[in-house]
Amino acid sequence: MNGFLRQIRRDLVISWAGRLDSAVMLVFFVIIVTLFPLAIGPEASVLAPLAIPIIWIAALLSILAGFERIFAGDVRSGWLDQVTLSALSLPYYVVAKAIAHWLVTALPLVLATPVMGILLQIDLGLIAGLLLSLLLGTMGLTLLGVIGAGLAQGARRGGALMALLVLPLAVPILIFGVLASASATLISPHLMLLGAVVAILLALAPLIGAAALREIDEEIGL
Amino acid sequence: MFDYFANPTRFVRIADRITKPLALLTFGLIAAGLYYGLYASPADYQQGETVRIMYVHVPAAWLASIGYVALGLSGLFYVVWRHPLADLALRAIAPVGALFALLTLITGAFWGKPMWGAWWVWDARLTSMLILFFFYLGVMALADGFDRRERGSRPAALLALVGLINVPIVKFSVDWWNTLHQPASLLRSGGVAIDSAMLLPLLLMLVGFHGFFALIVIWRIKAQLAERRIAAIGLKGGDK
Repeated sequence: MNGFLRQIRRDLVISWAGRLDSAVMLVFFVIIVTLFPLAIGPEASVLAPLAIPIIWIAALLSILAGFERIFAGDVRSGWLDQVTLSALSLPYYVVAKAIAHWLVTALPLVLATPVMGILLQIDLGLIAGLLLSLLLGTMGLTLLGVIGAGLAQGARRGGALMALLVLPLAVPILIFGVLASASATLISPHLMLLGAVVAILLALAPLIGAAALREIDEEIGL
Repeated sequence: MFDYFANPTRFVRIADRITKPLALLTFGLIAAGLYYGLYASPADYQQGETVRIMYVHVPAAWLASIGYVALGLSGLFYVVWRHPLADLALRAIAPVGALFALLTLITGAFWGKPMWGAWWVWDARLTSMLILFFFYLGVMALADGFDRRERGSRPAALLALVGLINVPIVKFSVDWWNTLHQPASLLRSGGVAIDSAMLLPLLLMLVGFHGFFALIVIWRIKAQLAERRIAAIGLKGGDK
């Protein structure tokens, strides 16, 4: 378990060293949100009901853009080989990567969401629910991203392929996330279903991700 | 049993033996199904002649779903036992399943325009079929997404496995989201809710489409095996 925490710390340190990358992702999110009023029009009556879906789509796209990098650096530098040799088992390594990636890319995005909501004239009473469901939803998306990144690591057309793999599977997160954000109660049935989806992914992603990474490992061994 | 079939030469031998009868049976069934479906069955009292689209639409939708289960199981067999045939089956099934999903969507649009007044509506069953189509495309893209072809086998198998678990969740979430499509009339509690004059062509087409699916998949697996042999011969540089 100690190696698990050290793996997270290592990723956080590396991300802090390259913090501009995370900032770029956050700006990407902000820009997507900004583009919607420019396309749809500035009226509050039009924007307010669309605020939650817009924020969810923007979050989905900007998180998707970061998936490619999850394992790329570790494979290139040989760190993945070291992990395979170490006592830290691959599924735990995958969870550690997911946690670190979520902290670095998704958390800033969630923190920026209230401001984005105000830009989109959102009903202020909805912001707490939106934040809660985004917190949970981005966790699920990051877990899907770990699956996608593991599977598509080393593939041609990595980024476009990743979108094709992850987005269809992200449908439940999007549907339950948006419904949970828009519901009047804070803990809605939709939020619970979203939590259930995330729980299933938490059980699934480490195993699938590790199985996919083992393939890369054998590839290097050839 | 799976060990027995995992041997490619044995597979080819068995496949060669069943291909011809299967092809005859399939085309016989589809021809009979089309005859009864297009001429010898009544038009629906509500839907008129458009009901005949059903004889293609329903079997295609059925096969798209069964193909997806077959895809997931091939993935499972490849991931767990590394059967080379499971990989070939996965690669053979994915485009066929995608085609049936697309056929379902297109025939559904032809039916939807006169009946619902729109080519496309965002109904749960249409949406989940569309997502199933995307999922097939994802498996295909991943299987062929690497420079070395075999490198894509395991990721594609894993993705098919993830899909086996996740696509039902997708379907559930989409059902939760919106439903307009009529409920199932074949497999439901309380018996079949369809007249026998329409049931006959539907069942003929359904069985015929299953045969067609199996036939194409077997042909595709055989083609891949042949392709492999050609590549192996090319590597050896020999003339046989």
